[in-house]
Amino acid sequence: MSYLKRTLGGPAGAILLAFFLAAVAMLVAGVSPLDGFEALFIGSLGGRNQIAETLVQTTALLFPALGITLAFRAGLFNIGAEGQLVIGGLAAGALGAHFAPATPLAIFVLLAAGFVGGGIWGGIAGWLRAQFNANEIISTLMLNFVALAVANYLVSGPLKASNASGAETTPLPASSYLPTLIPDTRLSIAIVIAIGAAIVLRWLLKRTVFGYELRASGEAPDAARRNGVNMPRMTLLALTLSGAIAGLGGATIVTGVLHRFNTQLSPGYGYTAIAVALVGDLNPLWVCVAAFGFGILEAGGLAMQALADVPKDAIHVIEGLIILVLAARRYVATRAEAAPI
Amino acid sequence: MEAREPLAPDAPALELRGIQKAYPGVVAVGGVDLDLRAGEIHALVGENGAGKSTLANVAFGAIKPDAGTVRAAGTVGLVHQHFQLVGRLSVWQNVMLGREPRRGWRIDARAGRERVRALARDNGLEIDPDAFVDELPIGVQQRVELLRELEREPAVLLLDEPTAALAPAEIDSFFKTITQLAARGTAIMIVTHKLHEVLAYSSRVSVMRHGKIVARFETASTSVDEIARAMVGGELPQVAQRSETAPAPRFSVRNLRAGTGSVALNGLNFEVRAGEIVGIAGVEGNGQTTLADAIAGVIPFEGEMQRPPHTGIIPQDRHREGLVLNWSIVDNTVLGRQRLPSARRGILVDRRSARADAEAIAQRFDVRAASLDVAAGTLSGGNQQKIVVGRSLLGDPEFVLAYQPTRGIDVGAAALVQSRLIEARNAGAAILLISFELDEILALADRVLVMYRGAIAGEFSGANIDRGRIGNLMAGSSV
Repeated sequence: MSYLKRTLGGPAGAILLAFFLAAVAMLVAGVSPLDGFEALFIGSLGGRNQIAETLVQTTALLFPALGITLAFRAGLFNIGAEGQLVIGGLAAGALGAHFAPATPLAIFVLLAAGFVGGGIWGGIAGWLRAQFNANEIISTLMLNFVALAVANYLVSGPLKASNASGAETTPLPASSYLPTLIPDTRLSIAIVIAIGAAIVLRWLLKRTVFGYELRASGEAPDAARRNGVNMPRMTLLALTLSGAIAGLGGATIVTGVLHRFNTQLSPGYGYTAIAVALVGDLNPLWVCVAAFGFGILEAGGLAMQALADVPKDAIHVIEGLIILVLAARRYVATRAEAAPI
Repeated sequence: MEAREPLAPDAPALELRGIQKAYPGVVAVGGVDLDLRAGEIHALVGENGAGKSTLANVAFGAIKPDAGTVRAAGTVGLVHQHFQLVGRLSVWQNVMLGREPRRGWRIDARAGRERVRALARDNGLEIDPDAFVDELPIGVQQRVELLRELEREPAVLLLDEPTAALAPAEIDSFFKTITQLAARGTAIMIVTHKLHEVLAYSSRVSVMRHGKIVARFETASTSVDEIARAMVGGELPQVAQRSETAPAPRFSVRNLRAGTGSVALNGLNFEVRAGEIVGIAGVEGNGQTTLADAIAGVIPFEGEMQRPPHTGIIPQDRHREGLVLNWSIVDNTVLGRQRLPSARRGILVDRRSARADAEAIAQRFDVRAASLDVAAGTLSGGNQQKIVVGRSLLGDPEFVLAYQPTRGIDVGAAALVQSRLIEARNAGAAILLISFELDEILALADRVLVMYRGAIAGEFSGANIDRGRIGNLMAGSSV
């Protein structure tokens, strides 16, 4: 009983409930939920190409979700993974188009540029919080808009490819593409890097002194402060690293999928990733599983629209419902804890 | 509104008979009889935790006693130590809160304002009924709090530490009001530990210790000295084995300044030597927390502080500052020591040594837990404190800051914690003990510093440790 309760009360329950509510919504809209969900799963898992595309989406979500996980574990609500992702992609795209050395090392340089770019973007919010106690929820969110505006300006002006009709940078030289994992698909080895990042993050949080202090800051800030944790430094480091992981994700999209930077880099991965991190219970390995689940939704959504005539936005309804159910559950849990013993 | 018929002078206004109130693990009030007469100002004094506030709340009716009766000749009012005002409401709205005059279904603002104005005038309290409470200085907020109780025309008025947050000038005007009130027949009881105020304004004094009234005096025929002795108990402290301490100073502060307001430190100078326990005695709120925060590095300070690298810290609040309640005992064992070479292997937390340390603490401190992997939050307060103290003493720290190390734990656990502190001292640790329990200071300390209003008011060591004089200094009177 208690196991069932725990499972259903947890992320799994949230997902089931969200799907149920989505089915109700489809019924109301006059579509058979069975047809809808069938299209969703055929479109995402029905063949080699579909699975590859699902994994592309999984990767795009996993990096920012891992960054968010790190920040949340430190008690910092980084809502700015979207901006950090874009800046990371921009850094890699700009460098790759104009300054990249034509050696096999180029790919490492571009990924590092994404890591640093995203890190700076997260670090700004970290510095504002550490120095002026500026609420990181607001600053990271606002920096998303700044990031998009900066990227828009650069790719429609200074960095715009000379022969491009739209707003995008010059394509990368093929030597700085991330190697493809499944031939003739968009899936690169970025998925391997992402899973590697998850494993490293888990190790960092669980085993290292830094991870110990980071978790202490998140769980009990007063105790951490009083027991030797330099909180301003931790805030700066955590948000920087959080942004860096998201920025690395942006760089893998540029080097592995688009092979150039444009502002359609992300359809909101950085926001969906918040739900991914929460569904994964802020545990790096479960976040991988959650990212796969959301990857199915992202990739299958188009098929659902084409095959079952369910608008792609229905996917966002499901995602939104999952977040809502999770948030409600946390709220109820907090209130139950707060009740007098 | 009609004025209450005043009671005849010296008529009984409040009778407490056989009041008892116990909380899990502690008897707050253990059988108290107390009478208040109309027109008197009665002081109830005692150390922290003596049961004064509990008794006041029983008299007020906020706490139901386990046994005993309360009889009052009219309404009983209580002014809390911590103000219970609504900051965003005006003065008159606060005073009339819950008893607003009405006209039909609306609040009659004019009548409310007039009522408060009249009340203030009658009691000689100067106040603007339309001012917002959170814009008023503390002393004026106190008047609002007082007016709110006076509005109910109490026959008995209880004041819990009424001057704790007031400046000296505000204190004088406050007592002027109180004296007038008493002259008009209200029975007043002031719960306090400020003995000079007791002497200056009260007519009778009752002294509480360990939940009982241990002495009663007519104020006219007693002294601060006599009251202080009764407060802390006349008996001599049980002497721990104190050997001569080594001369090497391990911790020192010179001209230490930190914090603001009434808890600011005004240039402290002292040192703690190896093999010595220095006790900081004092009533809560005289800067002890500021000192602990400065030593823990949580707040900035001015002046010099010499603190050895291996320092163990026992914070005052184990829940909030000492433990990560969701973490296991093993994980909590590392907290505060995570950067020490003995607790890590390179950049990694040494989990094997953490477990060994946790086992050592569990054994040395008799921690009762199902396993070392249970969350610290599931343990009893005593067991939690044992982990915090045990952790701070691991690996023979050179200096230990112990802030209220036995706060709120049962007698057995407290004795164990105290013994371990003495053992650490005997092994050469320099220990700074901050405690609000004078008994604890006297039982453990080789040297006692009395802290009053952010300064060291006196120092005692060895045979010169004198409970009565320490009590006086704690209460702010010079010896």
